Amino acid sequence: MSQIKVLLVDDEIEFVSALAERLQMRNYIVNTASNGLEAMALFHKSPPDVVILDLRIPGMNGIEILKSIKTFDPSIEVIILTGHGDIESVEQGMKSGAFEYIMKPIDIGELTAKIDSAMEKRRKSLT
Amino acid sequence: MKKFNLSNFKEWFISHDLFGLLGSDRYKSLKRRIVILEVALSILPLLIVVTISYFWFQQILKDDYRNQLKWDIENTGQSIETFLNERLSFLRFLTLSYKYDELSDYKKLSNVFYAFKREFPGIVDIGIIDDNGIQIAYAGPYKLTGVDYSNQNWFNEVVIRSSNISDVYMGYRKIPHFSIAVKKDLPEKEGFWIIRATIDMETLKKYVYALNIGEKDDSFIINKDGILQTDTRFHGKALNKYIETPIPSNEQTLVKECDIKVHGHQICGYSPIKNTDWFLITVIRSTPYARIPGIFRNELFFIIIFSILLNTFITTVIAQAIVNKIKQTDMEREEAIASCEHAGKMASIGRLASGVAHEINNPLAIINEKAGLMKDILESSDDLQKNKYKFLSLLNGIFDSITRARTITHRLLGFSRRMDLSHDLFDLNEAIKEVVSFIDKEIQFRNINLVLNLSPELPRIETDKGQLQQVILNIINNAIDAVEEDGRIEVITEMRDNNKIRIIISDNGIGIPKDKIKHIFEPFYTTKEKGKGTGLGLSISYGIIQKLGGNISVESEVGKGTTFSIDMPLKYEAI
Repeated sequence: MSQIKVLLVDDEIEFVSALAERLQMRNYIVNTASNGLEAMALFHKSPPDVVILDLRIPGMNGIEILKSIKTFDPSIEVIILTGHGDIESVEQGMKSGAFEYIMKPIDIGELTAKIDSAMEKRRKSLT
Repeated sequence: MKKFNLSNFKEWFISHDLFGLLGSDRYKSLKRRIVILEVALSILPLLIVVTISYFWFQQILKDDYRNQLKWDIENTGQSIETFLNERLSFLRFLTLSYKYDELSDYKKLSNVFYAFKREFPGIVDIGIIDDNGIQIAYAGPYKLTGVDYSNQNWFNEVVIRSSNISDVYMGYRKIPHFSIAVKKDLPEKEGFWIIRATIDMETLKKYVYALNIGEKDDSFIINKDGILQTDTRFHGKALNKYIETPIPSNEQTLVKECDIKVHGHQICGYSPIKNTDWFLITVIRSTPYARIPGIFRNELFFIIIFSILLNTFITTVIAQAIVNKIKQTDMEREEAIASCEHAGKMASIGRLASGVAHEINNPLAIINEKAGLMKDILESSDDLQKNKYKFLSLLNGIFDSITRARTITHRLLGFSRRMDLSHDLFDLNEAIKEVVSFIDKEIQFRNINLVLNLSPELPRIETDKGQLQQVILNIINNAIDAVEEDGRIEVITEMRDNNKIRIIISDNGIGIPKDKIKHIFEPFYTTKEKGKGTGLGLSISYGIIQKLGGNISVESEVGKGTTFSIDMPLKYEAI
């Protein structure tokens, strides 16, 4: 079983770096981006399996990023990261094709379980 | 004395003092106004209709009376005419039935006279006159045999026209009388004879007075020269000249209004009597047609009074109901405003809470990840010494995040709303920076260019910091909603008049249309989508600034942007 490639998009650099390190320790390949443009650039350079996306990031509308990911490759799964109970944008995200959502602060076990099940779904859709 | 004109009237009518619009009993005054207006509006048409129909009715009665009068005098005229014609016919009958010689005999004439008098009352005497005008035979109460009539008008008339009804004259008898005469030509000789009857004026008077007229009225006969033929009540004795009204020339019965200097306004009736030179005249000075409208008027008066009373009563009841309804609605509205104000406060608290949750969750997430990473490292390796610097760096990150969260909670305390105004002495620019830092995230997220142009020379201001910050936050929030992404918001502070600070918050957003700008400080007024705004933000802001002794104003141009200006006194003084 090959390693899962994860793209982490959030504007809190401290948060992103610590979380990336923890995921790497759990055997994930992690790329990080702190804004929309960076995310899209990385996304094209090395397409991930799962994207963990904060909807409120500067430079680009989170929902737009989500939609362009799903247009680029519908099999790539997106997990929405949300810092506050903004139910409206979460609902909108789920409607736009997100796989799951998770609230900050996150439980690492919960996150990896969601990444794994997202990957499982991706594998099924690829075969 | 002040002249009464329309504008004064308006002033009086709308006068607040009169109706106590602003007083505590404004509902009473409203009721009073409704009743007055309603009653006036409903009574006015009634009065107009009644007045018009009253005069209309009077006119009908008057016309009716005149028609009746015309009919009466025409009838009377015809009766007199018949009376005269009957006698004339009888005389003619005599000339055909008897010979001149027979009637010249006194005894025969007397027999005829008595028969005549029996059949036709009013005959005084009867006489036979030869063609020289000498009365050769006479039957009657006077001794008039042999009298010469050849110089009298009637004699000349009868010679020419063969019959004649004379005007009234005194003649030999010294009492007013008139005569009827018929000429008969003699077949054998060249000549004629005349039979003549004299008729007592009293008989004619009966006909004239038979006109059913009132005490102030008069009726009489005149001839074509205006000489009275009968005695009158007000216009003199018979044979005097009647001068007051001109005699109409036509042969029609006529009733008309005639103004006479002596007696004023009256109705005059004229009826010519055929085959004579006479006119029957009626002068009506009483007003019998006005009697019925009098009764009518009294009834109308009661109807109107009754209508007004009924109307006032009903209107009062209705007005009471309306005013009660308004009073209730007002109370409900006040309650609704109070509850909405509360809801508005709750909504802004909710908005604040949501922002705060986001702001605090972010450092918490960082702490969570860093602590989690430390735990992960500890679990995978026992070599603490090797990871010492890594741990220190992670711990520093955790402390930074804690500091960040603490700043937020402190700021939050600064924002907590107090019901009473507090007197804080603070630097306004710093307070504005605090507000801005609080919504920094939102501004960054929407890529809005927020420019602070704060005057460094501002003295410290004494007012309620929390409430003023709430107002500024509210206006900046509105500006954020108004501008597109990449919009520009500018906050300026400057001194004004040595004792005031002006805060200007301007944006280059969509602007507010002219017809809406006057409403924006009204409660419940919102241009935002349904559910997005309570319409209370600006009204609460307005209330706060007023309470703090300041002033808030707005200028806006559609498509160019909106500018709010707040003038705050340096030192807050209780109002």
